[in-house]
Amino acid sequence: MKQLVDRTPSYLADEKRSDKAIGWMQDQLPKLVLAPSFTVILLFVYGFILWTVYLSFSASRMLPNYEWVGLDQWERLWNTLTWQIALDNLFIFGSLYIVLCMLIGLMLAILLDQKIRVEGGLRTLYLYPMALSFIVTGTAWKWFLNPGLGLERTMHEWGFESFKFDWLIDSEMAIYTVVIAGVWQASGFVMAMFLAGLRGIDNEILKAAQIDGAPAWRIYTRIIIPQLGPVFMSAFVVLVHLAIKSFDLVIALTGGGPGNATELPATFMYSYSFTRNQIGVGASSAVFMLAIIAAIIVPYLYSELKGGRK
Amino acid sequence: MSARSQDRPSQDRLSQDNALRSAIYWRALIYTLLIVIAVIYLAPLFVMVVTSLKSLEEVRLGNMMALPLEITFEPWVKAWGTACLGLDCNGINGYFWNSIKMTVPAVAIGTLLGAFNGYVLTKWRFKGHNIVFGMMLFACFIPFQIVLLPMSQVLGILGLANTTSGLVMVHVVYGLGFTTLFFRNFYEAFPDELVRAAIMDGAKFFTIFWRILLPNSGPIIVVTVIWQFTNIWNDFLFGASFASGESAPITVALNNLVNSSTGVKEYNVHMAAAITAALPTLLVYVVAGRYFVRGLMAGSVKG
Amino acid sequence: MGFLNIDNVIKHYHDVEVLKRINIEISQGDFLVLVGPSGCGKSTLLNMIAGLDEITDGDIWINGKQMKGVHPSKRDIAMVFQSYALYPNMTVAQNISFGLEMRKVSKPERETAVSRVSKMLQIEPLLNRKPSQLSGGQRQRVAMGRALVRDPQVFLFDEPLSNLDAKLRVDMRTEIKLLHQRLDATIVYVTHDQIEAMTLATKIAVMNGGVVQQFGTPEEIYDNPVNTFVAGFMGSPSMNLVPAKVIKVEGRLSYQIETKNAGEPLLLPVGRDEMAISKYLDQEITVGLRPETITDPESANHTEGTVHEANLLVDLTEPTGADMYVVTLLGGQEVVGRMRNRAKAAAGENARFAFDVSRNVAFDKASGERIQ
Repeated sequence: MKQLVDRTPSYLADEKRSDKAIGWMQDQLPKLVLAPSFTVILLFVYGFILWTVYLSFSASRMLPNYEWVGLDQWERLWNTLTWQIALDNLFIFGSLYIVLCMLIGLMLAILLDQKIRVEGGLRTLYLYPMALSFIVTGTAWKWFLNPGLGLERTMHEWGFESFKFDWLIDSEMAIYTVVIAGVWQASGFVMAMFLAGLRGIDNEILKAAQIDGAPAWRIYTRIIIPQLGPVFMSAFVVLVHLAIKSFDLVIALTGGGPGNATELPATFMYSYSFTRNQIGVGASSAVFMLAIIAAIIVPYLYSELKGGRK
Repeated sequence: MSARSQDRPSQDRLSQDNALRSAIYWRALIYTLLIVIAVIYLAPLFVMVVTSLKSLEEVRLGNMMALPLEITFEPWVKAWGTACLGLDCNGINGYFWNSIKMTVPAVAIGTLLGAFNGYVLTKWRFKGHNIVFGMMLFACFIPFQIVLLPMSQVLGILGLANTTSGLVMVHVVYGLGFTTLFFRNFYEAFPDELVRAAIMDGAKFFTIFWRILLPNSGPIIVVTVIWQFTNIWNDFLFGASFASGESAPITVALNNLVNSSTGVKEYNVHMAAAITAALPTLLVYVVAGRYFVRGLMAGSVKG
Repeated sequence: MGFLNIDNVIKHYHDVEVLKRINIEISQGDFLVLVGPSGCGKSTLLNMIAGLDEITDGDIWINGKQMKGVHPSKRDIAMVFQSYALYPNMTVAQNISFGLEMRKVSKPERETAVSRVSKMLQIEPLLNRKPSQLSGGQRQRVAMGRALVRDPQVFLFDEPLSNLDAKLRVDMRTEIKLLHQRLDATIVYVTHDQIEAMTLATKIAVMNGGVVQQFGTPEEIYDNPVNTFVAGFMGSPSMNLVPAKVIKVEGRLSYQIETKNAGEPLLLPVGRDEMAISKYLDQEITVGLRPETITDPESANHTEGTVHEANLLVDLTEPTGADMYVVTLLGGQEVVGRMRNRAKAAAGENARFAFDVSRNVAFDKASGERIQ
């Protein structure tokens, strides 16, 4: 064979030197690299889940106590009025939060999809709340909706004398302030998801529909929105997850009050575990939260992983 | 034939005019709607900024929406240096640094580990890789309440309770699912042929990672870093549960400041503190938000 | 033993056998083309030569050395990938020298090697560019440069031209051929394009369904296909495969083929393999007619006396500029013939056809195997 490089390159000389131990190391290296992370996940996620499940069947009060008491703590949980309120609130908050975020998100995405000149800037505006901590959001909205000094007085000063907005201190309505602040924070994010979905739709289909003479709104209802199914699914999963985890927002906005009117499972779990010395009840409430999320997430992940492969 | 072709243009022009006019109305409506919504989205932030620049007296007497009559930075100075959280009157600056000391290492470690995991799970697959990935993915979605009680025990045993290092560890562990997910999805689309070419060129496992994959991972590194940064910086649950005292992060401190029951409510100071707490993530978002949205969508729409 | 020897190689993916006992042997300086439809296993075989896919059973030998268990980087081979697989973060020069760097070649040596290769491929002005700044053809060259600089014993090409536009593909094909002649390199080249196979190869392996259907020189494959698959796959337009009956007409073995001309069959004398074909007397077989053997009388080669003429109804004509493809129905099949451009043939009319019967081949109707 002709040489490309004048001399026989020196690197070709010591090609065939294999060391079995190093070969084995090379083969196993990927698994060795993954192992620490996976072990950590196994212990700190799955191990801890089992631990908490066990705690929920134990006699734990102020300190963990591993004496098995069966369903005692679970009974105590279901007999707690606050827990009932927390579940009711989760239902109200969760459904409103998800529906409103999706509606507003979809509407904003469709509006922004009309070849808007300043789209980038507006997108940033709608999205920025997502960058904020729930604590900051809660603090801001607490001030914004302050019955004495906030929106109510502003409206009065602007001439709407009869305007009344005291939901923050109204135990019937306080949960809706959490919905408002939550939707404000997350709807931009949902918009971004829908916008990405809209942009992902094949342009030629839309052109074909236009040539067929379909009016714009029909193109949306008949062609575009039905194709956004996966985005609805993703948004739903993300929002359910956010709703059930909602903790910081309530703490900062209402502190669970007035009274326990805005208690959610997440705040319930925290206060029973850490301030009310009811670790067993706290654990069972945490297990319950996990169960709701798992019931939604596991089928979703399963279908995603199945469908994701080719 | 000839009659039709004669009156057709004028008819066309008429309907064109109509269409044009209604299109203009539509666009005006759309823009108005978008701007109104933008104002609503901006209002809380506006109120925060305005309030933080007013004196407490003006806050109490004036309109929340009004611009300050007299701009004062007093609330900012106070929030940063002398505001009282309970009995401790040193402001929030110490907690701000706590947050930085917690966030920076946690983001760096979590991102690097996620990159390695994604690399192994896509380019060095082994039997059961999908189960491993599925288990890590599920870890993204657990409500953290489920690990609070065991974690507080373990941190106590490890001597990491109420320390920043403890929080770093917690955030690395519970961020792994997401960082792995991001990199795994990104590397899934990374051409196998490049890796094969590198193998034939004689590059080994780590060389391929450092020289081929990582230098081409810019977009996903940006996404992961932003995601991790905002999540960790904004975390409240872990901070409140595992580091309530001196080593508390800024979010916990802010909540303590706002909800401390003693004395007068200094709304202007609260707002200054809240903006301070939000500033790093807002900054990151404004600077690099575009890449974040782009990359995040690629990851979450096609899971 | 040949320079590259693929010895009884089998590949299973899970339970699916994707390669079934492959045996191929080529000499140093050979240009082996693995050609076949997608999914035939040709790329898998290439990857196994490269060491990127594991061999389930059997072995591969390069220059007398057993390759089983040898790491890809230690096989002294280089590969040009379909997508070129240029490292996007590196300049052209870095791309070319990366393999040398990994082999711990000193920097000055690397630079000399890069400059030689880039001169050879005329990519010197591109050395400091990133792959994203290159055109398709330039990327192709860089990918070849990366293989050439290593000076390997065997070059592997995995459909290297499939991402180029038609014109560039022809140019690069010529260039690869010239390179092969200049370097006297041993090359294994995978493609689904039978024209690439015919023009480049010194040896072709036609693959289908994980089996080497036929292995031989391009001429052998083209003139003597062993079965209907090879016959149909190689050549463009492809060989016409027409049902026919073997009969004796005036003592001469002939193919009887149905035509559209009512009740009057086409009779073509059997021009070759008469011994074998005579065993099929009065039986149905499949006869293979290359389009270029079906012409107008003026462009037929009459010197050897093997031309047989007949009047047939023309269904369709397709002028290509240089030639005119003429379609007629034979044995219920559309049969394509290649006439000169201004031949007297028009759709819906009869035309005079000339068949060169010396090139026709016959296949068993049931098995598709060649009768010879």
